[in-house]
Order: sequence, then structure tokens, then C-alpha cells
Amino acid sequence: MIRFLRSHYWITGLFAILALLLVITKIIQPEYGASGIDSLARAALPFAFAAAAQTVVVIAGGIDLSIASMMAVTSVTAAVMMDGASEEYAIFVVIFVLCLGALMGTINGLLIVLTRVPDIVVTLAMLFVWEGVALMILKAPGGAAAEWLKGLLVGSLSIPGIPDAVTVWFPKSLILLAVCLMAVWIPFRRSRFGLSVYAIGSNSLAAFRTGVSVNRVKVGAYAMAGLFAAMGGLVLTMSTGIGAPIPGPYLLASVAAVVLGGVVLGGGRGGLLGPIVAVFILRLVRTDLTFLAVDPNITTIVEGTIMVVVVMIGGLLAVRGRRS
Amino acid sequence: MKRLLSGVLLGAFVAGMSSTALASDYTIGVSNTVQGNGWREEMVCAMKAQAKASGKVKSLNIAHRNTDAAGQLEDIRNLIEAGVDAIVVNPANPEGINSAIKEATDKGIVVVAVDQAVTEPSAYVLSNNQEEYAYLGAKWLFEEIGGKGSVVYMRGAAGAAADDDRDKGFKRALAEYPDVKVAHEVFTGWQQDQGKQQILDYIATGIPFDGVWTSGIDNVIVDAFVESDVPLVPIVGADNAGFVGQLNSVDGLVGAAVTNPGSVGGAGVTLAIQLLDGDKPDAQTVLVDPQLWENKTEEGKAQLAAAADPSLDPEWPVSIMIPGWTTYSKEDIIACKGPGE
Repeated sequence: MIRFLRSHYWITGLFAILALLLVITKIIQPEYGASGIDSLARAALPFAFAAAAQTVVVIAGGIDLSIASMMAVTSVTAAVMMDGASEEYAIFVVIFVLCLGALMGTINGLLIVLTRVPDIVVTLAMLFVWEGVALMILKAPGGAAAEWLKGLLVGSLSIPGIPDAVTVWFPKSLILLAVCLMAVWIPFRRSRFGLSVYAIGSNSLAAFRTGVSVNRVKVGAYAMAGLFAAMGGLVLTMSTGIGAPIPGPYLLASVAAVVLGGVVLGGGRGGLLGPIVAVFILRLVRTDLTFLAVDPNITTIVEGTIMVVVVMIGGLLAVRGRRS
Repeated sequence: MKRLLSGVLLGAFVAGMSSTALASDYTIGVSNTVQGNGWREEMVCAMKAQAKASGKVKSLNIAHRNTDAAGQLEDIRNLIEAGVDAIVVNPANPEGINSAIKEATDKGIVVVAVDQAVTEPSAYVLSNNQEEYAYLGAKWLFEEIGGKGSVVYMRGAAGAAADDDRDKGFKRALAEYPDVKVAHEVFTGWQQDQGKQQILDYIATGIPFDGVWTSGIDNVIVDAFVESDVPLVPIVGADNAGFVGQLNSVDGLVGAAVTNPGSVGGAGVTLAIQLLDGDKPDAQTVLVDPQLWENKTEEGKAQLAAAADPSLDPEWPVSIMIPGWTTYSKEDIIACKGPGE
């Protein structure tokens, strides 16, 4: 147990912060309860998928600045396709949009690998390209979402045998997030491809010498980021019921969650759980600041400061850990 | 005896509590998704000033940041959790936040959408008529250039609902003047620096044009003409303090300001308080129609002169009050202080 805590001190610390924040929230707003957790999970959804997308790319030693724009493209595509269409057709839309996300990610990856231009430059350019594509698909917020898709985010599941008083604490949106992430992440971690992604992020030359096809793995990592971004775009359409062509604030939030989640920006180290917990922490901080009615011009400063302090403490702990 | 005394004291305390509750100590939540834009800042200040002037609001809970509809859903849900009595919201778009509004009204929270409408029927809407805003200004401009020629069309932010509404109004006016052509169409993103750069770039091409229609990024366009020393063409803008000042003072500038009051935020607070007090308005939707002030006729000049206010920030609309809806003073809105601040 202690060994687990020591090797996973970052995750443990993040969970401790989250728990502490929940306690603080309960003190600020004594009525905070199951419906608050539901709101929190729904708010966290698009950020969580954006963070997941960024996590894969950062572990592979890159960075993807086009995540929010890809979310906008997939969101408007889904909303336009579902507008006026039947409920069953939406199943096809979901599959199509997920493939579209993976395709956009593949294009990002191929451009990086083929042109040898640094990741940050290519994905910066693609940020504008995908944003333009989103505007071409839909020039103003519009479209629609299937009712069953919207319903996936509302309320909690009732499972026979478990009392509602328990299930109410696990909203559908949280379960959806967990299922979607695990469906991709668990096979990824167990595969040769997953290992290769960590390898090229850690040391691409060494990976190449051990027979890893660095370029192919890199394209794969970007494709996977595109897939997660598509999930993010879909939940945007599901929660708002429409598609919006202007990208939301998900790019910087994804980088923030990745850093706070203990993923090393140079690549090769980190997991998915950290960034996801970090997303929940950042959303809960926002909730608390709203409860406290803090001057809105100060809230962004507070959010930024919390991040810097946490990452600094983490850095200090890491240095100490290495010394001992 | 001691127990009796404490009982009496407790009774007095409870009575005191209930009497303050009767004095209507409302908590009002605000949700806005554009930060750092003069118009929106004025809107927020109008909300604060009106909440304070009403004397009925205990505190304002303002969620004011740059985000999208999904972020606004989060903010509205947080405001619901915070236990506010009413929410005044400037919607990110007309449909995207309906689910959270429904959740709020289901819990008995009054929701008023200001500036732009929402399609959720349980919300009250107090909105500026954006389509009419563009139509009025564009029609005046096309008339001014003699019904033929080419104009530069400087829009707001691509993909924004208000920009789309304005585009409809502009296109409606354009259809009425078949000899008017759009020489150049750009999105300023409602950013002063960007708009100025765009018009400077276009002036530099040397292609002649007869007029400029702007979506409220106006005073920097006049600056660009003056600084690059080219002859002025008719310019249409909004009632921003800087532009109104220029219409009064810049030699050779012919133009018109179309009103788009940011103080609609204060009016929204008033409507929310009325609803909390139990007074329902006749209609669920109230549209504030724009006015046009031009500097060609004596009448227009008089309107502009009366409206000009150099003490305001140049990016702030001069219509800082809406008669019948707002009760604060000019000092209040400039101070930008809410209840308890």
C-alpha cells in the first residue's frame, strides 16, 4: 500500500486535493450534494476528453494545438447531420464523427511526420485550418442532437439491486466518461502500440534502434488524439443540443490539465487518470469561485495561481524523491 | 426566567430575520461569456449599478469569463447550486443553453436573457433587435452613397449568433439596393486592433470604395482614415462614445451611429426583480429597437450632440441608461459597483 502511494504520489496528491476541495465546497455551500456532482461531471466532460486527447500526444513527445478546433469541427458535423434526421440515424452519425476525428488526427500526424516541421508549428497552423473548416460546415451556432444522445448526459442510471440513494452519486455523464475513456485507454496501454508511444516520447532514437517505427507510432498517437477530440466534440453537441463553430476554451485547459495531471511535457511519462482528476479539480475550483461570488476579473488569476502552486509543489516533491 | 428571556430574545431575533426577508433580499446570478469587450463591460456595470440602485438585491453573483455555450451551461448550473433567486444571462447562442435554463426555471429560479434571445419558452427575453440594428445602418449608408457603389462590410465575430442576425439585416438592406456591391467583407472579431489593421490593409490596396459599414468597431476605422490621410467616406458604426464624439468633431466625416445599448443588462436586472416581486410583464419577449443618429441633418446633429459623452470610455456605448428600465445615475454605472461592494 505504502509502495503504491509512493510510486503514485502525484495521483494520490491529486485525489487528496479533489477530496479537500469537495469538503471546502460542502462548507461554502451546505446544500451541495448529488445534483452538484451531476453538474460537475457534465461540466467536466468536454474538458476531460480534450485533456485525454492532449495526454496521448504529449506522452508521445508532441503537442496538439488544434484540439479545440477539431472538437468544433466534429461538434458542428454531428449537429448538422443530426438536424432533422431520425433517432436511429444518430448511431451512424456518432460512428462517422468518431472516424472523422481520427482522420483529422491522422492528417495532423502525417503533416508532422512528412514535412518534419515541429509539432507545435504544424498543429498551430491546423488550429486555423480546422477552425475554418468548422465555419464552412456551419457559419453560426445551429443544428440539432438526437434526444437519446442528449439523454445520455442527464440524470443517473437506476441499476436494479442498488438503491437510488447510491446511484444518484454516480451520474450518467460520469459513467459515460469512464466507459469511453477506458474503452480506448485500457487496450491502448496493453498493446504494443501503447508501449511504443511511451517509448518514442521517452527517447525516439532509442525507440527507433529497438525497432519501433517512430513515424507510424506518432501518426497513430495523433489519430488517437483526434478520436478523443471527436468524443469531446460529440459531448459538446450532446450537452448544448447544437453545434457551435467557434472553438471553446479547451486548448489551454487541456494543456493545463495535462501539466497538473503529472504528464511530463517532454513526453514519455504520465497516465490518463492524473489529467482527468486535474480536470475535475479545475472545474470544482471554478464552482467554488462562483459560489463565493468572487470578482470575475480575479477568478482567472486565482485559477492560474492554483495551477502554478500545485505544479511547483509537485516539482519540488519530485526533486526530493529523486534525492532520497 | 433566564430561559424565558432567551426565548423572548430568540423570538425577537426570528422576527427580525423574517422582517429582513420581507425587505426582499434577492440574490441574482449573472452569466456572461465575453470578457474584456467595452460593450459587455458596460452591460455588467449596468447590472451592478441597477442591482444596487434597486435596493432589493442583497448580492450579485457574477460568472463573467470568455467561454462557449458548454461553459455557460456550467456557469448557470453553478449559479443554480449557489441558490440564486434569479439569473440574468447574456446567452452564448440562442439554443445552446436551453437545458440549463429549463433546469433553473423548474427550480423556480427566474431567468432573464438580455441582449440576445433564447428559444427556451420558460425564460424572459429582453433583447436588442440585432437584425434591425444592421438593416437600419446599412439602409442609411446605401442611401447616403446614392444607391450605388461599393462598400466595405466589417462584420463581428464569425460564427456568433448576433453576427449572424446582423448579417441577415445587412443582406436585407443590400437586396433593396441592387446597384450596391460589397467590395470587401471581413470579420473584425469585435476587436479594435484587428479591425483597424484590416481597414489599413484595405486602404493600402488603393481599391476605391464608397462607404464602410461596421458592426460596432467604429472609432478606430475613423482613426485609420485620418492617420493614413485619405479622403473620408461615409461610415456607419454603433453608439460607442468614441465614435459619437468623432461624428461631432471630425471634419468631413459623414456617418451614422446606431444605438445598441449595453445598459440592457441593467434593464434585465429590473425585469428579474419585477418578476421576483410577482409583476409579470405583458409579453415574454421585449425587443429594444435601435435608433439611428446621423450627422447630416440638423435634427441628427442635435441628437448626436446630446448623446456625446467624452467622460465615458471610448468603447462604451453612450446609451448608458434605458428610460423606464434603469434607475441608477451616470456616476453609479461608471463606478461599476454592485450591492455590498
